[in-house]
Amino acid sequence: MTPAQTFQEEEFTAKFNGKVLTRILGLIKPHWLWVVGSLLMIAGTSTLDSYFTYLVKQIIDEGITPHDRARLLQLLVRYGLLAIGQAITVFGFIFLAGLLGERVQYDLRHKLFAHLQELSFAYFDKTPVGWIMSRVTSDSERIADLVTWGLVDSTWAILNVTTSLMFMVKINARLAGLIVLILPIMAAVTFWFKQRILEQHRVVRKLNSKITGAYNESISGVRVIKALVRERPNMDEFADQTSDMYLASYRAAWYSAMFLPLVRLIGAFGVGAVIWYGGLQIQTQGITIGGIQAFLSYMMFIMWPIQDLARVYAETQRSIASAERIFSLMDSHPEVVDRPGAVEVPQVEGDVRFEDVSFRYGDGPEVLSHLNLHVRSGEHIAIVGPTGGGKTTIVNLLCRFYEPTGGVIRIDGRDYTEMTQRSLQSHIGIVLQTPHLFSGSVYENIRYGKLDATAEEIERAARIAHAHEFITELEHGYQEDVGEGGNLLSVGQKQLISIARAVLSDPAILIMDEATSSVDTLTESRIQKGMDAVMKGRTSIVIAHRLSTIKNADRIIVIRHGRIVETGTHQELIQRRNDYYDLYTRQFRHMQGTELLGA
Amino acid sequence: MTQKLDPKLKHRLDKDISHAVTNNRIVGLWRLMDGFHWLYGGAMVAIALAALIRSLGYRLVQKIVDQVFEQGLYQNALPWLALTFVGLAALEGVFVYLRSIWSAQTAEGITLRLRNYIYDHLQRLPFTFHDYVKTGELIQRATSDVSALRRFFADQAVGIGRILALFTVNLAMVLSMNWKLGLLSIVILPFIVGLSLFFFGRVSKAYKSYQEQEARLSTTLQENLSGVRVVRAFARQDYEKDKFNLENWEKYQRGKRLILMHSLYWPLSDILCAAQRLLVIAVGASMTMRGEITVGTYIAAMAMVTWIILPMRNLGRLIVQVSTGLVSYNRVMAVLAHPREDIEGGSVPEDTVIRGAISFEDVSFSYEPELILSDSPDKPAATPAEGTPSPVLHHVTFQCEPGSVVALLGSTGSGKTSIINLLLRFYNTSSGRILLDGRPLETYPRTLLRRQIGIVEQEPFLFSRSIRDNIAYGAQRPVTQAEIEAAARAAAIHDIISTFPQGYDTIVGEKGVTLSGGQRQRVAIARALLKDPRILVLDDATSSVDTETEDVIRQALARLIPGRTTFIIAHRIQSVMNADLILVLDHGRIVQSGTHAELMAQAGPYRQIYEIQSRVTADIEEAQ
Repeated sequence: MTPAQTFQEEEFTAKFNGKVLTRILGLIKPHWLWVVGSLLMIAGTSTLDSYFTYLVKQIIDEGITPHDRARLLQLLVRYGLLAIGQAITVFGFIFLAGLLGERVQYDLRHKLFAHLQELSFAYFDKTPVGWIMSRVTSDSERIADLVTWGLVDSTWAILNVTTSLMFMVKINARLAGLIVLILPIMAAVTFWFKQRILEQHRVVRKLNSKITGAYNESISGVRVIKALVRERPNMDEFADQTSDMYLASYRAAWYSAMFLPLVRLIGAFGVGAVIWYGGLQIQTQGITIGGIQAFLSYMMFIMWPIQDLARVYAETQRSIASAERIFSLMDSHPEVVDRPGAVEVPQVEGDVRFEDVSFRYGDGPEVLSHLNLHVRSGEHIAIVGPTGGGKTTIVNLLCRFYEPTGGVIRIDGRDYTEMTQRSLQSHIGIVLQTPHLFSGSVYENIRYGKLDATAEEIERAARIAHAHEFITELEHGYQEDVGEGGNLLSVGQKQLISIARAVLSDPAILIMDEATSSVDTLTESRIQKGMDAVMKGRTSIVIAHRLSTIKNADRIIVIRHGRIVETGTHQELIQRRNDYYDLYTRQFRHMQGTELLGA
Repeated sequence: MTQKLDPKLKHRLDKDISHAVTNNRIVGLWRLMDGFHWLYGGAMVAIALAALIRSLGYRLVQKIVDQVFEQGLYQNALPWLALTFVGLAALEGVFVYLRSIWSAQTAEGITLRLRNYIYDHLQRLPFTFHDYVKTGELIQRATSDVSALRRFFADQAVGIGRILALFTVNLAMVLSMNWKLGLLSIVILPFIVGLSLFFFGRVSKAYKSYQEQEARLSTTLQENLSGVRVVRAFARQDYEKDKFNLENWEKYQRGKRLILMHSLYWPLSDILCAAQRLLVIAVGASMTMRGEITVGTYIAAMAMVTWIILPMRNLGRLIVQVSTGLVSYNRVMAVLAHPREDIEGGSVPEDTVIRGAISFEDVSFSYEPELILSDSPDKPAATPAEGTPSPVLHHVTFQCEPGSVVALLGSTGSGKTSIINLLLRFYNTSSGRILLDGRPLETYPRTLLRRQIGIVEQEPFLFSRSIRDNIAYGAQRPVTQAEIEAAARAAAIHDIISTFPQGYDTIVGEKGVTLSGGQRQRVAIARALLKDPRILVLDDATSSVDTETEDVIRQALARLIPGRTTFIIAHRIQSVMNADLILVLDHGRIVQSGTHAELMAQAGPYRQIYEIQSRVTADIEEAQ
């Protein structure tokens, strides 16, 4: 079991947690009128359901048996009117409960999304996107179901059982007492089975996602599978999974197959009792034919409300687990927050100063220790060094995705925690190693850098970033759809658009993490030119992987084990024959290529 | 937790269903059920018998009411009559149970067989298919469309059967008691069915649009979460909230429309049903009073009418679901109709020893025109899109001796990968031929050929399983832990694996630890070492790792190369200089070929690239 798997494990809280329940109810409080309305409507529906059976008894006993045509007509008219009345209550509860459900979902998602926008990076670094997604989508749906249909169905069921019993008592109390004995047995069996069925479905769902994963791998890994001739062993492994799936589904079906007949059989003892006892009573006028027929109808119907109750009960446990997870997300606090009195700074020069900055992630080891760095306004800095040396951390701190655990970062001489996060971030532009685009057009994606930009501004930015050329080659130009996450474009094209986006936002400080993935030569040179153009006149800090970037930088910072080990220009550092020289000559030595091709 | 399947069932499940791929839907569905026809037929019979027993119960009620209650006969038989009800319920239960179990066995069995077949099909489809069909699209057909088919057999066909059985049996029963009452009990039925069909046809569209909005909402969320750095860097939280809320609100609106439709349908249908019931109650009452029918008949008829009309309200839903199920069937079959790659066929015997002499003779290659996956098997499974294919290799000719090193140098799109793809027979040449040890490549079974070629790619694909399994993945034989460790040591990855808490059992990929590019590559090298191929393909992929890792990888590769015919896909001069043959590729043509010394002696791109890339040397000298 890997950490990620245990993370996604759906936990079952078997107990009803009172606090969580109250908090769930709090979600429907703003819409209490709808709640009350739907409950009234379902109460009407439920009572009428029981009454119709009693009404038929009246028709038989008061109309047909005494041949009382006037009374019969009266009862029939009542039946018709009540049917129309019930249609209205049915409309009411479906509409109100349905609307409430959609509304609760809307509210929950609204709140969760807004909360997610404020959470810190630490949260996103340790929480998989998929986990958050399920909270916002399926868990909020489950909670909405609970507070609407769960509430409505259980109200219907409880009222239906009680009113039916009341009518039965009214008809014949002794027989009703007999029936009451059967109900607990029926309920116990129903609850037990509903629980098992739900558990089996959970097993099936888990296996199902495993199977989907297997399909996914067989498609995305098809090149390796073919190259390694793995078709047959893979098939055998997959067949094992589908067998498991068969057995689990079959077991689920078995529980369902046993359930209905069993419950009906229990009900049949009730029917038998009605026939027997009723048959004896009818001779002594203890019960009427209509009364027996009503008892029979109640007896055959009563398994449905009980079943509904059992279902709601079983689902409630799941919903509570969902709610616990949602609330845990809502209760997590952002670690980076604006200080009281933080100010908006409309303009900055771009002078950046790290003063004795140290940092560790959580209780991890120190990744930056006592770092001092001064980047003057307009200066170009290249950061180099081995992976894990702390390059990315510098970027994370400067953007205030995290805050230093020691020391101060100053922008234009002012401690940056005195500024609001948004104000700070609006002065910083960022181009990431793996560019991220949003669904929508090329135009919209560039505009992301400045929401009120005009078409001219957007085109100008694209031209500066050297993206204009390829964009005009696209079928729909700037209106071309980039696809989900931009996946209709190549990596290089996405890179160019993300540069244009940064150009448009016109930041004082630009941070770039150079891409390492290989793109074709033409795009490569475009990206290079675009980067050069966008850096012009701004403070820029680049995590460098390209020689040209390094050589064009005003200063190179070599970072290793969280410390700056060397700074200077390319020429100076080469001459110093230290860390940088090592890094550089290593690459040079590789040019001989002897190790690889020496064979 | 793998359990064994019942052997009898296993026998059924092993049936080949390739003949189920036909453009006749009914024949196709029938063949999909191969081995389950009797079982499923049995389930249908059980449905009818269960319905029959239930209405026999009502007939019994009729008799008891008339003869025991009304006329006071057979008083002593009352306990037995009561027990008869229990017996009837038990008997009905048996048939309901059998119906459920048999239909579940059929549906799950068909699904299992279909899943396995699709899985195998997917990994055997050629690249001419995979290149153009999106993973998500295929997965959807393999999962949700197959589930839709499962529901067709498990729920929908059975559900429709049940409605029809209840209708027929109960109607026949009422007619047999009193034909007038029987006809009366279905007067309003056509309206109920019509309303149901109309409503569910409409609602399925509204539901689809609701689901689409739901999908749009999750895409928005997902992009926001995975792009959290971009959102923060541009301080676009408020914009994102607005964007999300807009989609969220739209979903609410569509949900509302859906709710409104439901809240209109059910009460309307309730009223129709009530009218139908009231009709029987009213007319039945007056018939009873006139003595045309007995009280028992009246009571039994009222109960049976309920079973005639109530299930009918769901007929529309089932019919709509069946029609979407059939669409799913078509979508699945469209994938299955595409021919597989023949991996076993070839005249060269499987045990042939391959030496590794390769020659390309005037090989040209262009990709097949783009395919568009259709939604139905009666059209060609995938139809070519418009436009002529552009050639990616032009008249490529070269040869190499067993054990030699061939370097392919060129920019992205120059044709390097295409040469490798042809060598592995992922594609066939458009013209010209490729010889391996003097025999045309097509005469080798693909399995034989591919077992002898090892690939280490730039971004190696690892499977979500343990590191051990990943290394042993291509070995084609059981391997010992010692062998795996030896390979890992040679690939310079053993030490890193040892630092993981679970060592070789560490799961990699999406659900496990994430390995860095360099680590993945070394696992791939170990995988290739264990496979021990005669021919090796290396993607010189050191650009994604830092210099120290690059060193280690180079050393590991150096251990892998000796004695094998090796192709190096190179981006930089330094990795090709010692090759026996260097091919400089540009736009699918070999523009230069020879050894480093030969190529340096002539003016041309090779010398140019060399000069650009070695300027670094000059820099250092300059600086000193």
